[in-house]
Amino acid sequence: MTSRDAILRRIRTELADRAPADPPPVPEVWPRTDPGAEQLVERFTEELKAVHGEVIRCGSIEQARGKLAELVEQSQWGRIGSVDRPVCRELLCDLDPQQVAWAKQHWEPQAMAELPAGLVAAERLLADTGSCLIACGTPEERLMCYLPPASLVVARVDQLAEHMPAAWEAIGRQTADPQRRGEFVLVTGPSRTADIEKILILGVHGPRRVVVILVG
Amino acid sequence: MTLVSSRAKPQAALTLAPQIMSTEDLHLEGAPFLKEQTAGLYEPAGSKAAGEAAVRSTKQNREITDAIPYWQDWREQARAIKAFTVANLDKLLVEFERNITARGATVLWADSAEEANRHVLEIAREHNVKRVVKGKSMVSEEMELNHTFAAAGIRALETDLGEYLVQLAGQRPTHIVTPALHLSAEDVGRLFAEKLGEPFSAEHGDLTNIARRQLREEFLRADMGTSGVNFAIAETGTLVIVENEGNVGLSTATPPVHVALMGMEKVLPRIDYLPVFLQLLARVGTGQKLTSYTHLIHGATPGRKLYVIILDNGRSKILSDPAARQALRCIRCGMCLNVCPVYRRAGGWAYGWVYPGPIGSIITPHLVGLDKAGALPFASSLCGACSEVCPVKIDIPHQLVHLRHRAVGEPSPMNSATERLTWRLWAWAMSGPKRYRLAMWAVRLGVRLTKLLPWHPGKLGAWTRGRELPKVPGPAFRNWWRRNHSDFEK
Repeated sequence: MTSRDAILRRIRTELADRAPADPPPVPEVWPRTDPGAEQLVERFTEELKAVHGEVIRCGSIEQARGKLAELVEQSQWGRIGSVDRPVCRELLCDLDPQQVAWAKQHWEPQAMAELPAGLVAAERLLADTGSCLIACGTPEERLMCYLPPASLVVARVDQLAEHMPAAWEAIGRQTADPQRRGEFVLVTGPSRTADIEKILILGVHGPRRVVVILVG
Repeated sequence: MTLVSSRAKPQAALTLAPQIMSTEDLHLEGAPFLKEQTAGLYEPAGSKAAGEAAVRSTKQNREITDAIPYWQDWREQARAIKAFTVANLDKLLVEFERNITARGATVLWADSAEEANRHVLEIAREHNVKRVVKGKSMVSEEMELNHTFAAAGIRALETDLGEYLVQLAGQRPTHIVTPALHLSAEDVGRLFAEKLGEPFSAEHGDLTNIARRQLREEFLRADMGTSGVNFAIAETGTLVIVENEGNVGLSTATPPVHVALMGMEKVLPRIDYLPVFLQLLARVGTGQKLTSYTHLIHGATPGRKLYVIILDNGRSKILSDPAARQALRCIRCGMCLNVCPVYRRAGGWAYGWVYPGPIGSIITPHLVGLDKAGALPFASSLCGACSEVCPVKIDIPHQLVHLRHRAVGEPSPMNSATERLTWRLWAWAMSGPKRYRLAMWAVRLGVRLTKLLPWHPGKLGAWTRGRELPKVPGPAFRNWWRRNHSDFEK
């Protein structure tokens, strides 16, 4: 008998006394208040700042391009990495093609680690926690969230949800898709630790900076 | 060793630290609660710092939970979901296995820690693994996986900062969530200087940078990454892992192979149950609204291998005792440690195995056996602070009492011939006033005589090594009353 069968059989024997029960209802967690877009933007900005993230608010994609160019120059990023998504293409189209390294298959992590910044696109933003939900279908897309010391996230205002339960339906649909592989990651501010004397330090293994470019 | 700070009693700290234990021949010798020769508590290095940190976490936790009107509802909902999960564990595990396998993962089952280690080594051999980066995992601690890797000549490094420090120091974690709670910044500076040849610094930012630089290289060169699992969703075949440092993201995405280690109770039926647990876990674990990273790993990422090892290692034994099943609800948040007056004073190593604190006093006897850890449930004042904060409402004090009942009836250190004789004598002495008087007279005489002895044998010696025998108080109350009662009756 394999360990699998042995374990399952043991569980069944030990639980022979169980009575069939319906699964508990799905908790509401937070009430849905359906706030307006401006209120969501304000809440998101406040919460992300509280966890030491940054928000750049842009009225249009054109404005976003300008602000991104400023940021790249200010931060002296010679070359930035990006996942290959339409919204990222749109955002980066003004930059010199030499300045952008698009995530490609079989990209060596060593090479990715040298990028000073990486751009990813969020599926959803959560206002109550300042979180970005990012869907990654390849190892390179996943590493773009963790390897470069600065992480740029682009999202539209209409992708804001008030909190996790409100965004869950969309997440649930995607995770239920049998074709989906990879990772959904909720990123809430830069990487951090408090492992030494419970003193908070930003930027341990992941990014030190998280900048959300919010368009619309 | 220079590592242990001057606050500590170095000898005690060092004899404990580097022990290798498998459940097969577990001696729990370092565990003062369990050790026959030591009747009292033990103070690990930096217990003061750890105790203070625990007090701060408790205060912070109270502020956070008081501010949320739904907190008690969430706890009840989480309890109900976990109870349903435990009652349907077999079906949910099979469903999880089917769904994550359909997404390209390989699921392996392990009866024991030893079998789980064999699985890991086989995977390592198959993929020609020389270097491993490890994300934080309590199951890995249960397995003594670092030891297994070392014995096989594989370089394996912990990448969670706290775990990394503990590993470098050759110690064991003192806390489930913050493993290096007992090390001061100075301790860490000296450790880095000694083991890595880095210039000494006691500045938190510098120390973190050193760890980042050292481990970045390891992530990029690793052939395999390991991680724990916080939740495993049966319905979708999703692994959920929460963390703050980004090391789990790097450990699971950089190397070509990811091995996820999960205790079999980690499964949850549906993905819509997840939000309530994520809300609870971040707030009680670290006082955050959400951890910096919540990974929902959805099968094998194309181009990467994913293995999931489902570990029993004594968990199904917990099911055989219906009164104890609720212990399987635990989500390893560490809050019961922070609020526990015994943990705050005694530190994590005092519990002798992987899981310290109140929850450890329940889980350890179940997983390693009452015969080895039967004394742990007695290491509690039963104050109940733990059950007040537990996010899945485990009734820890009653679980401890239940285990105490079992420990005195089943083979365990609390059911030894000496224990039985002592309680028999006590019961005899308590059953009549004359007997009681005689017994008390004997105790007074005994303490006085013992003080005169030049040395103390056996257990008595172990007890008196660190403390003084109590002073025998003045005349017994009964004698005093006999002489003075007339004053009160006037």
